[in-house]
Amino acid sequence: MTPFTAAVESARPPVPADAEVTPEPRLLLADRVAQLYSQLPIGAAATLAIVVVSVYALRRSDQSWIVYGWSSVALAITAARVLLWWSYQRSARTVEQAQRWMRWLAIGAIANGLIWGLLASLFFELMTEQEYLFIVLVLGGVMVGGIAMYAASWSLFAAYGAPIVLPFTYGLATHDDVLVRGVAILIPLFYAVSVGVAYRLNQLYLGGFRTQRAYRQLNAEYAVLNQRLARQLQELAEARGQVETSGRKLALFVQRSPAAVFELDPQGRALNVNPAAEHLLGFAASELSGRLVAELLFAPEQAAKLGARWREMLRARQPIMPLRLGTRRRDGHEIVCEWSLTPLVNAGGRVISVIAQGRDITQQLEAERLKQEFTSTLSHELRTPLTAVLGALQLVNSGAVGSPDAEVLELTQIAERNGQRLLELINDVLDLEKVEAGKLPIELQAMPLEELLCESLTLNRAYGERFGVRFAMSDELPSASVHADRRRVLQVMTNLLSNAAKFSPEGATVEVTLHDRGSHVRVGVHDRGPGIPHAFRGRIFSRFAQADMSLTREKGGTGLGLAICKRLVELMGGRIGFSDRAGGGTTFWFELPKHAAAVP
Amino acid sequence: MSAPPLQRICYVEDDEDIQRIVRLSLERIGGMSVDIVADPAAAIERMIAFKPDLVVLDWMMPRIDGPTLCRRMREHGETRDLPVVFVTAKSSPRELEELRALGAAGTISKPFSPNELPERLRAIWRALAARGPAHS
Repeated sequence: MTPFTAAVESARPPVPADAEVTPEPRLLLADRVAQLYSQLPIGAAATLAIVVVSVYALRRSDQSWIVYGWSSVALAITAARVLLWWSYQRSARTVEQAQRWMRWLAIGAIANGLIWGLLASLFFELMTEQEYLFIVLVLGGVMVGGIAMYAASWSLFAAYGAPIVLPFTYGLATHDDVLVRGVAILIPLFYAVSVGVAYRLNQLYLGGFRTQRAYRQLNAEYAVLNQRLARQLQELAEARGQVETSGRKLALFVQRSPAAVFELDPQGRALNVNPAAEHLLGFAASELSGRLVAELLFAPEQAAKLGARWREMLRARQPIMPLRLGTRRRDGHEIVCEWSLTPLVNAGGRVISVIAQGRDITQQLEAERLKQEFTSTLSHELRTPLTAVLGALQLVNSGAVGSPDAEVLELTQIAERNGQRLLELINDVLDLEKVEAGKLPIELQAMPLEELLCESLTLNRAYGERFGVRFAMSDELPSASVHADRRRVLQVMTNLLSNAAKFSPEGATVEVTLHDRGSHVRVGVHDRGPGIPHAFRGRIFSRFAQADMSLTREKGGTGLGLAICKRLVELMGGRIGFSDRAGGGTTFWFELPKHAAAVP
Repeated sequence: MSAPPLQRICYVEDDEDIQRIVRLSLERIGGMSVDIVADPAAAIERMIAFKPDLVVLDWMMPRIDGPTLCRRMREHGETRDLPVVFVTAKSSPRELEELRALGAAGTISKPFSPNELPERLRAIWRALAARGPAHS
């Protein structure tokens, strides 16, 4: 059997009180040994007292040397037994050693019995009638005392009693008086009865031991259960505290949220409304509570649009992300709100309520519209005067209106070049605006990329020559069909090639490569320029990003090129990046998805 | 069958500077006869008198814009079939769609190069001729 603590730890159900508890024999023995040793000092003290009294009573006997001799032996044995008790107290008193201690106890019990047996055998022949009576009483006393002393082990009592009874009986049986001889017959009977009583006491002890064990075990289990219960109560209290805290936090968030927050039942009736919602829509919470919100806030056609999404959300039990709806305030004023709906689903998978969050985006939309309108108008209005400026300069520079003086020509060429830069900037700003407003038409179609790359090189050759830079395709190009917009790929290539030309030393070659990368194709443009400064790497694809503004003036460029490239490539489902090139320079690359039929 | 060469252009444009550039471009570089009209209200009258092969309209003009003028031309028997090319700074899909609906022969976006303008107009002219004899 495992120690009971471990048994309880393993969460076994508690043993019913009426179940029989069978203790392990070794444990029983150990308990018995402990019990017997605890009695030992009392026994020793009693022995000592009886010996002292006996010596005092018999000191005037004719055979006083026998009295002193006997008492010396008795004292020695008692001292040995006290020593035994002392050793036991100092030992570890383990279950394993109980057997050994029991053996010593048995030896001690027999030795103790021998003290009294010796008294009986030595004195019977020699004494007066009074002394004789004294010894008989002493022997009767020590027999009765032994029963109590060895209550934990009847066999030990039997071993103790036998050395007393045998010489005692013999002594009585050989007496002259017939009455005394009669007693001799009774002594073994008394002994047998005493052993029987001791045995009965033993059974009582055993029962007591079992009850105690069961009680202890129950107690221990009860203590463990109590501990567990206390722990669970504490955990419960903590959990409740946490729930309350997060509940308070949540309520605070909702209360202070700048967004309008509704809790709606699955039919769309308002259960709870936060102050921002009251403020945004002009309704008091009490006016909204229990009402069908859609009827109150949306025109029929908007409500129908919402209704379809609402049913879809209830079916899928998935949140609906921003839904733009014209929303009517209490005063009839129409605003545009972005609504998101989140169903709260219980453990059973049933939607118990829906959290609707609304944000007024009327101002934002208006600002976006104004910004776009402004940019677009500005750009268009700039084109008309630019047509005149560039047209006039081109006519002069081409010699269509006569040959101007060389110095004048130089100046008009500068003017034309800068007019072109202004135009590029306007075009780039417009492009970026369109991409960001989602208005740039992208027509994806399958096309062979290597031909497109060759075309882009041809188109940009003249530009490269201005910087003394040559563009070259790498020798082996895998044929790759991509899914892309032809015009936009050319635009990206023009940007990357013109950047590479601008930053390469004169006489350098810019290499263009094409690599198959599974589901994508990667185009690389490799230059031998100065590389990209570390401080600039994080924002290279941002608007108006140029590492060195003096280069803008020197070599042209708007600082929008890479920002546009990034957006265009992403619109076509690809990505763009750069890396340092071994041996100096930079590689700009972009990846485009392969045409589905071409993907193996 | 080769088309007759493009010779007479009527250009309706309110901006004086661009008028001068276009005239220089089409006359000097293109060797064409050009009638520049500054007032769109008088344009149809001038077209009837000048009898151009092709009409070029600026999109954005005060009072009467290019598309409006184009629609008016379609209502006049003598100008109804004249091919029209628009010059515009706009390029949104919606605007290009509007031009197609008006039956424009082509568009040229601002800014354009005066050195290339005659050739671009000839290219549109050739494409029209190839499409059918209606405008020849």
